[in-house]
Parts: sequence; structure tokens; C-alpha cells
Amino acid sequence: MSDTTTRPEQTGPLAFADFTHRWVHGFAATATATETELTALDQQVGDGDFGMNLVAGLQATLRLLSPPTGDAALPTGRAVTPAGPAAGTPPPGRAAPDASPAAPLAAAATAFLDEVGGTSGPLFGLLFQELADAVREGGAGSPTAALAAGVRGGLAAIQRVGDAEVGDKTLVDALDPAARALAAATTDDPAQALGEAAGAAWRGVHDTTRSTARRGRASYLGDRAAGVPDPGAVGIALLFTAAGGPVTSLAPLLH
Amino acid sequence: MSLYFANALPDLVDDALAGFALAHADTVRWDERDGYLRALHPAPTRRVGLVSGGGSGHEPLHLGYVGTGMLDAACPGRVFASPHNRQVLAAARSVAREDGVLLLVKNYTGDRINFGIAAERLAHEGIACGRVLIDDDVASQSAESATGRRGTGAAVLVEKILGAAADDGRGLAELEDLGAALVARSRSLAVASASHTSPVTGEPAFTLPPGTLEYGVGIHGERAARTLSTRSLRDLAEEMVASLAEALDLSGDSRLIVLVNGLGGVTRLELYAVLREVALLLDKRGATTVRTLVGDFVTALDMRGFSVTLLDADDEVLRLYDAPAAAPAWPARPGRTTR
Repeated sequence: MSDTTTRPEQTGPLAFADFTHRWVHGFAATATATETELTALDQQVGDGDFGMNLVAGLQATLRLLSPPTGDAALPTGRAVTPAGPAAGTPPPGRAAPDASPAAPLAAAATAFLDEVGGTSGPLFGLLFQELADAVREGGAGSPTAALAAGVRGGLAAIQRVGDAEVGDKTLVDALDPAARALAAATTDDPAQALGEAAGAAWRGVHDTTRSTARRGRASYLGDRAAGVPDPGAVGIALLFTAAGGPVTSLAPLLH
Repeated sequence: MSLYFANALPDLVDDALAGFALAHADTVRWDERDGYLRALHPAPTRRVGLVSGGGSGHEPLHLGYVGTGMLDAACPGRVFASPHNRQVLAAARSVAREDGVLLLVKNYTGDRINFGIAAERLAHEGIACGRVLIDDDVASQSAESATGRRGTGAAVLVEKILGAAADDGRGLAELEDLGAALVARSRSLAVASASHTSPVTGEPAFTLPPGTLEYGVGIHGERAARTLSTRSLRDLAEEMVASLAEALDLSGDSRLIVLVNGLGGVTRLELYAVLREVALLLDKRGATTVRTLVGDFVTALDMRGFSVTLLDADDEVLRLYDAPAAAPAWPARPGRTTR
């Protein structure tokens, strides 16, 4: 991943909070920009609702992060802009009740667990729940260590719930290598560490393209799903990639 | 065009639940906002709340088994679709006792995932949570499949027996172990001579060539692995009992709870005839039919078929099974073959 953040050196919880806010907003912008491509993928191996569910979950997340305040200074209808704020734009921190590093991840957890249908969406919610907990507990130390603990916890929760192993052609195929890459990362810079996780996740996505599903919706298709990457795994890879800024198109990443 | 009587198909489940709550207002309450049905008078001795649920279209499962001595709550999904994890979470929060909550889950991917997510969220909130996975259908036992046996008729028996054990004040781990043991000693098999009617198209979900029946159907309109030529009830029952006896490894002194269950479109006339054949065949093997349930307990909309569930019971299981219960679909006088 290229280094898109040539910002002055900042450390501490404030910089980390700024980072997690930009990450979640960047993922929201990514989901909106790639929704059509995700839907096309999911129509080949699933029921076609993955892109829509991802966008719905992230829009609900942004609503939770920017609750209507009744503040007359704020123009109405500001809450959700489909394109999302540009990377690097500070979050609307003054309006948000909680500007901690864990807040955007906790909002995503609530949104995906409570408001998204299907199965992949709520599983993303479990990952966000574990990330929020780990960042809340360890965010004052190394951000990379906190994120690694959160992704490891999220992977464990998702595997407890879905029983999927690497190779079953599910989102675990991207999340497991990402968790390993984060655990091995030596940098304290969360953007760089998540960039390494993204690289590992995309390699996992490419493995799902070649494999036959044993779990999840695609398992009903057997070999007919071969040649198509698992949409949930693509969503996980996009999550990590969005830490370096929003993704505008899926096609270059799938080759 | 649908043949179903409904105001609008998407509203059918909600309308039915409102009607069910009205019919049994002294026993249950329907929480429409959070999507679960709750027992009004659970025993104060319970230390663990019991929660089940699953797709609609299987009535009276699970809503009819919410009540004193059985389930504390049930979460209905849309027709043949799992409930959302937030329904299970809300139900479990509201009925959890000092020793937590036990989730009774039929083995389907959607149910496993949604109940599993709810379990993760309960643990996150500090509420102790256990699970009993119900997977009694011998027809879906396959070495290649990672999904395992489906959950069907045993759900009713497990809900009854665990309900009585929970009323005894047993703890979470004890109930979880008992549930697993009950499932291990229960097996079911279902046959159909016609599929259910699709609510959406008004057409049969599948059509059978004349003179054939499906052997080993599920409860969601999926085809069976085997299609047999039509045969006498005696010959059909013989094949079914042989499969079940083998799966349970029945011995000469086995005492069985026998559930002959209509799948929604078969007559009581036929079901009682099935019970007679099954009991005779078990008797030939030296096993004893000690308790009987005959009727529609776990349906598949209006499927023309039936299932047979056998539970190999010991004294303690029979004592729990015989304990009184007051749930809308549990019989006031369940069948007993001896005094």
C-alpha cells in the first residue's frame, strides 16, 4: 500500500482517535463507491445483498456517529453524504458525544449487529465489537497491538459462530491472514500496520477465487462458484485497505 | 397467485403472532417491537432462562411451547428464515436468570449463525449463555456435508424435558449436558407424498411422479435424497423404524417416547395408523413404547407427510417428561401406554 498520509508526526490517543474516525469514514466511502461491483460478485455466488448490506451498515454507523444535535448552527441533512468525507478531513468531533479512538468502531459494531440483515453483515459487527473492546482497553499503548488484538478476537468470535476454517471460501480466508500480518507487524503506525494486513487479506481473497465453498451460501453451488472471489472476503480486504484512504474501484484490486 | 389466506403475504407472520398472543393472552405476551414471544408465568424456581426460535411455517413450533414448564421465550423469523440475532438477544436478555440463559437451536446454518452472534453479544454483556444444538434427522446424515443432520421433531421433546429440568432449579452447565444427551438419544425421519404449497407462487414446492413418495424430507420443502415407489404403510413404517433403530442402536430393553408428527397436510386418521405400525414394529424388536404424541407438532406449512421421532428414555428423563406443563400446544393429556 502506498503511503497516503504524509502528515506531521502525531502520537497518542488524540491522533489514534483521528485515525479510527478517518478509517471508518474511509470504509463507508469505499463501500458506497464499490457497491455495484460487490453486488455483481455476490449475485454470482450468493443472494446479491452483500453490497447493499455493507452500505446500509456503514450509513447506520455514520448516523450513530453524527446524531442530530438540534444545534442551530448545523445545517440539516448534513448527517450522511453518500461520497463520505475525503480522507484526512477531521471528523465532526465537536458534535459527537464520544471522540475516543474506540467510538467509531463501537458505532459500527452496534450498526452492523442490530441493523443489518443477512449473515455476513452481523459477522462484520462481531469484528467491530472486538476491535472496539481492544482499542478501548489498549488504545493508550501501541495502536498496532490494540488493533492486532481486536482482529484476533474478531476472527475467533466469527469462527466460533460460523465454524468456518481457512479454505472454506468465506470471509475467514481474508481475515485469518490479516490477523497474522497484524500480529507480526513491527510498526506502531496503525495505517502502515493495517496496510500490511490489507496485503495479506487480498492474497486470501485471491485464494477464495480458486476454491470451492464448504460453508455459507456459496456452498450450495459447489464448483459453480469456482473462479469467483468470496464477497465477504473482499469486504474484509476493503476494510483494511480503507485504512490508507477510500477505495474507488474494486476491479484493479481483484487482479 | 397465492392460495394462502392472508391480508398480504409479508404480514402473515406478524398477523398470526398477534392472533396467537390474543388467543393465549393468559399464558404468553408478544413483544412486537423486539420480535419475541415470552411466557407470563415461568416457575420462580428456574435459575436459567430457556430460549428457542427459528423460521416460521413450522407452527406450533416454537411459539406453542412457550409457557409454564417449557420455553421462557421464542423468536420467530419470516417463513423458513432464521430470526435476526437482535431478536434472540432481546429475548435472552429479558428471560435470563441468575445462572444465565440456554439457547435451543435447530441445526440450520442461518439459525446457528444468528443464535451464535446473539451468544457472543450476551457473553460481551456478561450474561452466561449455553447452547443445545438439535440435530436429530437421520436422512441428512452425510459424511461429505459439513452442515450435519437437520433439527426437526426432537425439538418438541427437548423443549419439554429441559423445561422440567429448568423448573427443578438445575444450573446452566447441567442443562446443557442434559440437552446434548437428549439430542444424542433422539432420531427422526420424515416422508412425504406431496410437497408444501409455496406461499409466493401458490404452486407445490416440488412435484412427485405419480406412484412415488419422498423418503427423508426436511421441513423446508427440500427434496429428499431418495424417492421410493408408493407402498403400504406397514412396509414404509418398517423401513423407517429400521433406520431409526439402527441410528439409535436400540436394545431389547429400550423404552421409547414416540412422536408421530404431521407435517401440516396429513390426517389424524393416518397419523394414528402410523403410531400403531411403529409401536408394533418396536415391540417386535423388544423395545417398549412408553409415551406417545400424535398430531401436528412441527410442520412444514401444508406438506402432505409425517415424521417419526424416537427418544430412548431412562427413568429420570421420563419423570421430567411427565412433569406438568402449561404451554398452548403441549397436550393437556399426553399419551401414555401404561398407568
